[in-house]
Amino acid sequence: MRTTILSLLAVALLVPGVARALDDVQMHDLLKRIDDRQQNQGDYKALAYIEAKERGKSDRVQEAVIYRRDEEDKLMILLLKPKSERGKGYLRMEKNLWMYDPTVGRWERRTERERIHGTDSRRRDFDESRLAVEYTPRYVGEESLGKFKVHHLRLEAKSEADVPYPVMEIWVDAESENVLKAQDFAASGKLMRTTYTPRWKKAFSASKQADVWHPAEIRIYDEVEKDNSTLVLIKEIDLGALPANIFTKAWLESKSR
Amino acid sequence: MGRLLLIALRNLGANRRRNLLLGTAIAAVTALMILLGSVGNGIQDTMIDAGTALVSGHVNVSGFYKITAGRPAPVLVHRQQVLREVAQLVPEARLIVDRTRGFGKFVSETDSVQTGLTGIDIERDREILRVVQVLKGSVEDLAGPGTVMLYEAQATRLGVGIGDRVTLTAPVLRGTNNSVDVDVVAIAKDLGLLSIMSCYVSKQVIQDLYLLDPDTTGTIQIYLDDPDDAAAVEARVKLGLEKLGHRLMDKLDVPYFHKFQTIAAEDWTGQKLDVSTWKDELSMLDWTLKTFNTVTMLLTVILLVIIVIGVMNTLWISIRERTREIGTLRAIGMSHGRVLVMVLLEVFCLAVGASAIGVGLGAGLSQVLTWAQIPVSEGFQVFLLSDTLKLVLEPGGVVAALVWIPLLITFFSLFPALRAARMRPITAIHHVG
Repeated sequence: MRTTILSLLAVALLVPGVARALDDVQMHDLLKRIDDRQQNQGDYKALAYIEAKERGKSDRVQEAVIYRRDEEDKLMILLLKPKSERGKGYLRMEKNLWMYDPTVGRWERRTERERIHGTDSRRRDFDESRLAVEYTPRYVGEESLGKFKVHHLRLEAKSEADVPYPVMEIWVDAESENVLKAQDFAASGKLMRTTYTPRWKKAFSASKQADVWHPAEIRIYDEVEKDNSTLVLIKEIDLGALPANIFTKAWLESKSR
Repeated sequence: MGRLLLIALRNLGANRRRNLLLGTAIAAVTALMILLGSVGNGIQDTMIDAGTALVSGHVNVSGFYKITAGRPAPVLVHRQQVLREVAQLVPEARLIVDRTRGFGKFVSETDSVQTGLTGIDIERDREILRVVQVLKGSVEDLAGPGTVMLYEAQATRLGVGIGDRVTLTAPVLRGTNNSVDVDVVAIAKDLGLLSIMSCYVSKQVIQDLYLLDPDTTGTIQIYLDDPDDAAAVEARVKLGLEKLGHRLMDKLDVPYFHKFQTIAAEDWTGQKLDVSTWKDELSMLDWTLKTFNTVTMLLTVILLVIIVIGVMNTLWISIRERTREIGTLRAIGMSHGRVLVMVLLEVFCLAVGASAIGVGLGAGLSQVLTWAQIPVSEGFQVFLLSDTLKLVLEPGGVVAALVWIPLLITFFSLFPALRAARMRPITAIHHVG
């Protein structure tokens, strides 16, 4: 009996890449590492190509610039293309998400459930990761996702957290610790969205003196309207300092003039 | 008189078949009248009961606030102070609660629904529980922040169930649009018109949506033991609030959501209070009642005319058949007056007996139909605010039927009875029938 146990232990230790169950502290540390890897101590700018497919409609392609100042929890998404929608934008400041429509010159306050520019994406998909702050994790199991060994975690939103969905499940690559898949659930348990992030990239941040990770490709599938999906490609990352007054309503309004 | 009554009753017995037919007709009409009256009372009761639980108190003190003259909002500021003042003005009130009001669009993953919003404090305001039938979830969960109870039709259209989150968006006083997320905690059975145009949210949802101060509300609803006291209490509250320095709106006997256009056209800013009764707030349902009552009245009149004609005709025939008998009575000394009374007593006895049977029949049928909980069509539900028909028997209606039907029939029998009384004995005796 003792020989059998020792043999099994030896096999378990020798097999590379096998994920092991995580306890509460390990899960929290994992989420914190995921957050830290994506946060920059300085500013962040990226170009995003967004392609939305919707049942019964022709595909829509949009191009937007993403501006972030993670330390102040500020985010701006400014639409560049198509030309007819140029100047539309979102601004997150003081925990409020504002949308600006230059055609009517009005600001509207939106919630975390807002479909960014009518696609399946949400504000969270473009912003820094806050998993450790906003969610309480529970370990579901060790699984395989294609060729990857992953930790499957169920995250439940903390009561004070303002999130688009109260429950989320994530599949984290045990080796790279990148989130490869996420599913969002309503409180009723209904699956709302499945997101795959097959490609991750990193860029060196001078302000952080470390690499900042970012998803390079996000594929979002609407689980309610089954034929709808959105592809987001993040390109041209710039971690240099942005102008101080950029995260203001006036700045965003000026971009459409 | 006793002898005349005896003759009248004997005559009724002598022409059993004819009087049985006539009595049956009178009883049937009486029963139908009682039944229609019960339906009318039931509709009125259901509407008032549902309306005063869902959209209005017996007396309401609502606030309208205008930042600029053309932009009114259903907002009452200094909630605590006005609540205290109203409580002092109406010490006999059974319950005083306040509700926030608004209008917004619910957006789900698949669709959107535009509707009126009522924010309630479910822990204090239990009135809606009298009427609302919760199909899924719990209405008690409205005590939590950011919660909504939708009606079935709204939930179906939005494609949401208990625990799902929807976004509520509305234009706010500052001119921009604001949005809040709310969780569906209860789904209630549809309640006609109200399930199309309203839903319940926790009070704070409307304050968050409209970015309002916590010391604001929409309306203060006063519930009385007797709804009929509403007009007197309304007058007292108006006078009292005016004395306390509040600006009051001119009386408009329409629901609050119909008042915006008029208020927007008026040249004032700040707050004005609007004191109304349940009759004003439910005036949209009033025409349903009026239509039903008019149809009932017309039907009753037509049936009564038919019955009266039938009675008169039968009496003509009866008098003609009994010409010799009447002539003999006149010949042995019976006066004109006594003949008249004898004939009228005969009709009156028949009418009283038949009406009493008709009332009993109508009352019994009303009880059976109420017990059977007859479902009403969806179209009718829209106005009835209920999915089953309730019949209410009013003692006043029963007494009226018992008194007025015999009196009316007896009155119209006066013409054939007079003819019988005026008969000359010699002509009557020589009559060949």
